[in-house]
Amino acid sequence: MNENLFAPFITPTIMGITTLPIIMIFPCIILSTPKRWLPNRIQTLQIWLIRQITKQMLSMHNTRGRTWALMLMSLILFIASTNLLGLLPYSFTPTTQLAMNIGMAIPLWLATVIMGFRNKPKVSLAHFLPQGTPTPLIPMLIIIETISLFIQPLALAVRLTANITAGHLLIHLIGSATLALSSISMTVSTITFTILFLLTILELAVAMIQAYVFTLLVSLYLHDNS
Amino acid sequence: MFFVLPPPPHPSAPASVLLSRQLGLETEGAEIGRVGKAFALPLSRGLLSAILVRRLARFPRWGHRDAEAAERTLAQHAVPAGAARGQRRGVLQATRIFHTASPHLAPLPPLPEHGGKVRHGLIPEEFFEFMYPKTGVTGPYVLGTGLILYFLSKEIYVITADTFAAMSTLGLLIYIVKKYGASVAAFADKLREDQMAEAEALKQASIKNIQDAIDLEKKQQALVAKRHYLFDVQRNNIAMTLEVFYRERLHKVYTEVKNRLDYHIAKQNMMRRKEQEHMITWVESHVVKSISAQQEKETIAKCISDLKLLAKKAQAQSQSVL
Repeated sequence: MNENLFAPFITPTIMGITTLPIIMIFPCIILSTPKRWLPNRIQTLQIWLIRQITKQMLSMHNTRGRTWALMLMSLILFIASTNLLGLLPYSFTPTTQLAMNIGMAIPLWLATVIMGFRNKPKVSLAHFLPQGTPTPLIPMLIIIETISLFIQPLALAVRLTANITAGHLLIHLIGSATLALSSISMTVSTITFTILFLLTILELAVAMIQAYVFTLLVSLYLHDNS
Repeated sequence: MFFVLPPPPHPSAPASVLLSRQLGLETEGAEIGRVGKAFALPLSRGLLSAILVRRLARFPRWGHRDAEAAERTLAQHAVPAGAARGQRRGVLQATRIFHTASPHLAPLPPLPEHGGKVRHGLIPEEFFEFMYPKTGVTGPYVLGTGLILYFLSKEIYVITADTFAAMSTLGLLIYIVKKYGASVAAFADKLREDQMAEAEALKQASIKNIQDAIDLEKKQQALVAKRHYLFDVQRNNIAMTLEVFYRERLHKVYTEVKNRLDYHIAKQNMMRRKEQEHMITWVESHVVKSISAQQEKETIAKCISDLKLLAKKAQAQSQSVL
C-alpha cells in the first residue's frame, strides 16, 4: 500500500537510465510554433494566450525587469504544462520532485537578489527594514527580514511541490477509497467518486494557479530588485 | 554517379578552364569543355588570360545567386557528354547543377482546410475503412470490446485507484471539450479573421492611397492642359488694368486742362463784369451829376401835367363805357 501510494512520484527509468529529461522536454512537443503567417487553431489560441499572459505579467516591470520576459514566460508555460499533463492518468509530473523545484527556485531567486545588490545596493538593503518601524524593534526586524528573505526560495519550491504532490496523492487516495468501497457499498462509492470528480476540477485549477503563483512571485522579487 | 568530381584540369589546360575553376563554377565535366570553348573565344591563351586569372582570383567566391545565374547560362550551353570533344565518357553527365542554392522557402504548400476525419475523437476513419471489407461495420467495435475485456479479464490492465482517477479526469476533459469546444474554435477563427482583416485593411488602404494619388495626378495633368486659360485670363486682366490706367490719366488730363481753361474763362468773365459795372456806375454817376436842379424841376412838372392828362383820359374813357 505504501509503495503503491508513492509509486507515481518515482522518476521513471528505462533499464536504469532516467527518463526525466525526456519527460521534461515533452511539453515542448505539444506547444508548437507556427511556421506560417496564418497558423492553425491551436497555434492561434496559444499565441493569443501567451500574449495575454505576457502583457499581464510584465506590465508592472521597468525596462530592466522586462529583459526577464523570456525567462518568466517559459517558466510559467513549463510549470503549467507539466502540471496539467500530470493530471492525466499514469503520468509522471516533474514538478512533484522537490529537487527540481528547488533547482528552479533558488537560481531565479538568487539571480534577482544578486541583481538587486549589484545595481541598487542601497534600495536592496533598505528592503530589510519596512518603513515606519519603531526604533527598539529595528535589530529584531532586520533579523526577521533576513530570515524571510532566505526562506523565499524554499517557500517557492516547497509550495509548488507540496501543492502538486498533495493533489496527486489525494486523487490516488480517494480513487483507492472508491475502489475499496465499490465492493462494500455502491452508493458510498458513488459519493466518493463525486468527491473525486470535484477534486479533479480543483486539481485542474490548482495546476494552473500554482504555475501562475510561482512566476508571479519570481516577478515580484524581480520588481523589488530591478 | 551524379557526384563524380570533374577531373582536375591539366596544368597546360586552357586558361579558360582555370578561369572557370577560379570562379568556383561547380560544373560537370562536359560543361567545362563547353564553357572552356565559350570562354576560349574572347580570351586568348598567354599573357592576357594569365593576367585575368590572377585578377579574378582576388575576388571572393561567388554566392548562390551567381551560381543560379551561372546555372541559367550554362543550361543554355548544355550538351550531351563529350560532344564538344567528340569523345564518349562512361559516366552519365548531368546537365543540371544540383544543390548550389538554399531551397526555396516560399511559396509554402497550402495547408489542408480540415484535418483527417476521426471517429470518437481518437480513431481515424481509415481504420474503420480498412476493416470494413472483411468485418463490416461492427468489426472495429467488436475488436475494441474484445481487447478491453481481454485486458481486464487477464489483469493485463489492473483496476486500481488510477482507474477511477482516469475516469474522473478524462470524463472532465471530454465534458469540457464537448461543452466549450465549438465556442473556443469560433474564437480562434475570429482571431484569425481579425488578423487577416488587418492585413486586408492595410492592403486596401495602400491601394486607396495609390488610387487617390493616381486620381490627383490625372486631375493635375488635366489642369496642366488647361493652363493656357490662366495665362489668357491674366493677360486680359493686365490689359484691362492698363486700359483703366490709361483712361484715368486721360480723364485727369482732361480735367486739368478744363480747369485751366475754366480759370481763364472765369477770369475773362470777371474782367468783363467788372468793366461793365464800372462803366455803368461811371455813366450813372455822371448822369446823376449832370442832372441840374432846374432840369429836375421841369421834369417833375412835365410828369405832373402828363399824369393829369392821363387821368382826364381815363376819366373820359370810363364815362364813355358807362
